[in-house]
Amino acid sequence: MHGHTAAGKLQGLTSDALWYEAALLVGITNALNVVADSPLGSLESAETSADAEAVYAEIRAFYSRAVPVPFLRLAGDAGYLAEVWAATRRAFADGRLTRRFKEGLAFAVSVTTRSAFGTEFHLAEMRRCGVGARGVMEILGVTQMFSSYTKIADTLQLEPDMHDIAPVDWSPAPGGAPRPPAAPREETP
Amino acid sequence: MATVRLRQASEYPAAAQKLFELSKAWFNHDLKQPPAMSRVMAWDPEFGGPHGRAMKRAMAPGEWTRAEKEMVAAVVSGVNACAY
Repeated sequence: MHGHTAAGKLQGLTSDALWYEAALLVGITNALNVVADSPLGSLESAETSADAEAVYAEIRAFYSRAVPVPFLRLAGDAGYLAEVWAATRRAFADGRLTRRFKEGLAFAVSVTTRSAFGTEFHLAEMRRCGVGARGVMEILGVTQMFSSYTKIADTLQLEPDMHDIAPVDWSPAPGGAPRPPAAPREETP
Repeated sequence: MATVRLRQASEYPAAAQKLFELSKAWFNHDLKQPPAMSRVMAWDPEFGGPHGRAMKRAMAPGEWTRAEKEMVAAVVSGVNACAY
């Protein structure tokens, strides 16, 4: 992981903001997948409150399709559903990374974690966002190759050896102040 | 700590040295030693050769940029909980 983050930075993705955005996307993608892929079918019959229905309207508009399973399974707590949806929408909307590319990342996550829901859903979303057959194959190829390298590295317990070759982003957190300069070291007698 | 002794680049045959030079170019960085994974792959060129070519083909710019693909690779590695 360190090696590819470093390699990505050396390829021009120097801003940490891009990597924060990708990481948040990976997290929420996995969160939706684990609920969707679990045998929770009986929960889908939970009554949908007016508040939940309002959230569902936003979800349908965002995806231009029926409400995906993981959100249906949260209907029993409209407040929780609304917060999960807000985080999901934030993670997948165009930001520093495009929604199109984010769907590619989510597809890679879903294939890697063997999520039947996520693989099918994000494949469809990629195509809807304009990714062609070649683009899908490219994501699949990278996913497969690095599912090989990672297991070779783990088997031999290789330690990261490229993490310090990437440039460091010293910019502050969003809205924050710049990092104070390091205090001068005291002279030792 | 690695479960095998990673050989120094100088312990590899001449053919591997060429691969190590390619590795530097691939990462666009003047590494003192080839990355551990490059040295692992050079152990068996009949595996490492085609595997490396498949990787480079997969990582070549196409519908996605090389940088975007590095991010996909980082995500896959992260999900696989690979520290390397």
